[in-house]
Amino acid sequence: MNFKQILRYILLIIVALWTLGPVVWMISLSLKPPAEWYSANIIPKKLILDNYINLFNSSVPIGGTYFMTSIAEAITVPYINSLIIASISTVFAVLIGFCTAYGVSRYKAGGTFTLFFTLLTRMLPGATFVAPLLVYYSTFGLIDTHIGLILLYTAVTLTYAIWILKGYIDEIPLEWEEAALLEGAAPWTVITHVTFPLIRGGILASALFIFILNWTEFLFALVLSVTKAITLPVQISLYASAVGRMYGSQAACGLIATIPMVILGYTIQRYLVTGFTFGRVR
Amino acid sequence: MVFEKIINWLRQPKNFGKILMMPSSFILNLVLIIPFSILIYLGFTNYIPARGIEWWRSDIVGLTNFIKVIGDERFLWALLRTIIFVFTVVPIEFLLGLGIALLFLGNFKGKKIFTSIILYPMMVPWITVGLAFFLLFLDFGPVNSIILKPIFGETATISWYRDPILAFLTVMLADIWQWTPLMFLILYSGLVAVPERLIEAAKVLGASETQILKRIRLPLIKPLIIVALIIRSLEAFKVFDTIFIMTGAGGPGTATETISCYIYKLSIQYSNLSYASAASLIILIMIALVTRVAIKPLAVKPE
Amino acid sequence: MAKLFVKNLRKVFGELEAVKGISFNVDEKETLCLLGPSGCGKTTTLRCIAGLEIPTSGEIYINSTLINDLPPQKRGIGLVFQDYAVFPHMTVYDNLAFGLQVRKMEKSKIDSKVKEIARLLDLENVLQRYAKRLSLSEIQRVAIGRAIAVDPEILLLDEPLSNLDARTREKMRTELKEIQMKVGITSVYVTHDQLEAMTLADRIAVMNNGLIEQIGKPSEIYDNPKTLFVARFIGTPSMNFIDCSFIEKNGKAIIDASEFYLDVSDISSIIKEKSTTSELILGCRSEDIIIETKKTSPDSIEVEVKFIENLGAKSIYHLGIGEKRILVKTHIIPGIKIGSKVWILFNKNKIHLFDKKTNLAII
Repeated sequence: MNFKQILRYILLIIVALWTLGPVVWMISLSLKPPAEWYSANIIPKKLILDNYINLFNSSVPIGGTYFMTSIAEAITVPYINSLIIASISTVFAVLIGFCTAYGVSRYKAGGTFTLFFTLLTRMLPGATFVAPLLVYYSTFGLIDTHIGLILLYTAVTLTYAIWILKGYIDEIPLEWEEAALLEGAAPWTVITHVTFPLIRGGILASALFIFILNWTEFLFALVLSVTKAITLPVQISLYASAVGRMYGSQAACGLIATIPMVILGYTIQRYLVTGFTFGRVR
Repeated sequence: MVFEKIINWLRQPKNFGKILMMPSSFILNLVLIIPFSILIYLGFTNYIPARGIEWWRSDIVGLTNFIKVIGDERFLWALLRTIIFVFTVVPIEFLLGLGIALLFLGNFKGKKIFTSIILYPMMVPWITVGLAFFLLFLDFGPVNSIILKPIFGETATISWYRDPILAFLTVMLADIWQWTPLMFLILYSGLVAVPERLIEAAKVLGASETQILKRIRLPLIKPLIIVALIIRSLEAFKVFDTIFIMTGAGGPGTATETISCYIYKLSIQYSNLSYASAASLIILIMIALVTRVAIKPLAVKPE
Repeated sequence: MAKLFVKNLRKVFGELEAVKGISFNVDEKETLCLLGPSGCGKTTTLRCIAGLEIPTSGEIYINSTLINDLPPQKRGIGLVFQDYAVFPHMTVYDNLAFGLQVRKMEKSKIDSKVKEIARLLDLENVLQRYAKRLSLSEIQRVAIGRAIAVDPEILLLDEPLSNLDARTREKMRTELKEIQMKVGITSVYVTHDQLEAMTLADRIAVMNNGLIEQIGKPSEIYDNPKTLFVARFIGTPSMNFIDCSFIEKNGKAIIDASEFYLDVSDISSIIKEKSTTSELILGCRSEDIIIETKKTSPDSIEVEVKFIENLGAKSIYHLGIGEKRILVKTHIIPGIKIGSKVWILFNKNKIHLFDKKTNLAII
């Protein structure tokens, strides 16, 4: 027994190290001054926060004058853009997804073509949509607009919203809604006052999940935004090239992007587990 | 009066249902179905923005693009690389995820902490993962300094990004790091759902842990395994973000150029939108075929 | 064939002491039944023997081997679960063969053994069917067959009949008895149904609240319950209990139950010896009381018929005297209806007296 337990802990620690390794290195890099970027020590000999602070300040050359490379934009704008776009898209996706899931679940509405089609779009590489979307968006002047990305993200994550929420709606006994209807409530009131509150957990779960998808989306943002609606992931990639060998700043930038995720991550953990065994082990 | 009529019409279940579906139909049509039609249209034209002709006025050239795509070596190589990527990365993620899930079976101190640690790579944005691994494998990065140097001595610095095979390896490693936790999560929740009674019955009958694993646990989560593998394979096929950051969407040369990278470059770098569309459609047809032929029977059987 | 020895078994779950120190033996080929209400610790005891729970203290031996530290795999025990736990994703054949396959027995030997078990349990027709497509009684037989296929030293059964409806239960009870006689493995059988215990067990251990109240042959338990609990638990309908006091007056000894009394002068010395108080409880089974339409002896007691339960061949008469109710089970007596006044006579050889304080039997 004891040997088995020790073995288990050893293996667990190895796995934990493997999992934590890359991020620990990033944290360490982000806290090191440029002189230490090439050395192998994990613990910085000198701890600085400049790498983080400079990210938000576009007038200071990143990394100081040490490398004399090009100055990259501050990340405040992309950060805010990401927040706006991701949040609004999530809200839209969840709301519309809820309506649709409700319609499919209770009213058996919805053509099979539409649903099947959206499933198909999940299977295709995003790159395949780059060409038509470029053409489409430029024709309507949607390139580099917030609304353009919001519409796209909503459409793309809608399938997930429908899938997740439908599972939760199916769980609510039909009788409860029918009882409300019998008491004279309009169908819309039934939805808002009966169903919606009951699946709060599902709403939260899908909202968190979709927010993460939207926050980390890269390809379409890369293609469809230039400066005004640029999102954080794209900005990070620009950093990697523009800032050249400013590894400390790059590391700081990458880590900044994970903060909302880390906060949300612990909330979603509970919901993710129930969400996966939901439709599966039935 | 008219308002009341509308309300009454709304109250009928059939109509109400239709109203509910309208927003989603609207959005989907607007943002996905129309571009999809454009995609199909473009494939048959020879639209290149640089030429200056509007896309709806470009000539229709029939199947020229499609034929070119099929004969395009670079396209085929990209496809092959993507397939190799999927079939290497997914099994590894599955086995590792299964191993870790088995490691987590039962109770032990600190389980919650370990679970949080194991799961968090899934929550890191793809770009950050790419960036993190990019930094790791730099010439003077920790992989060379901390892991290899002590073992092989001072001269053992591997230029990961210069060698085609090594670069491919690093990209695969990033994907494995990021997605093994997902496999772990799915497999673990499945394993936990196996009724404890059955395990006890097997134990009393004399089965060792390995035998229990092989004959009870795994068979009972087979449907879950299949779903997990299919989902992960489909996603792995689309890999782009991490490769973009780590090797600039394909470097060195075309060593890590997956199908997504190639089509992306066609659209953005070479601006050959029609050709890109044709390539995209070919991929679409392939995926649809594979789904029909291989995946559907697999997915339906366990039901 | 093996003997089972359980010594001072104790099992504590956190705050709850489920098994409080019990000991018993099971002889070769004997079936011992652990009988008791839910929560009395019988299933816990069984699981300790199987190795699925680790006892807090105490020892378990099979023959002369201490098995406390052996994992369930190595104990040579067969276990039939209450919910059968048959492997749903395997065929009946594979279920039966599982224990043998796991021991890496030769295929041909496995085949003949499985066929033998299937014949014994009438499962030959369903050998190739998947376990999730069987009827309940078929599943039960697979569960039993699977357990005995490995020729266990000890067979443990955890309430295997409680999931069945009354009629199937009756049928399976007799089938189980037949299998028992044919196969003859040392067994421990857990149940809360006293009828099952009386039918299937060679000896019964009545358990209550983590302790064994009495062990003995079914007839012993029935005729000579040693505690109030055992007396109350065994027998349908339940034994009649009447509070009374032991009084000695003028050289005579009686037990006084306010509305009536019984002369117990002939056994008064035993009563005095064994009791700790004069507060006693009189017990008599419903079939040990005679109903008379006329008073035939000085011990007859007058009662009124309050209610009659018709069971078909017999009836249960609910008789009242004062506030007390006495049930008598006997053949239908014509002419008696509700409200009739009749006389009852206790069969003096079959009455029981219990010490009210200790709940132990005196007679």
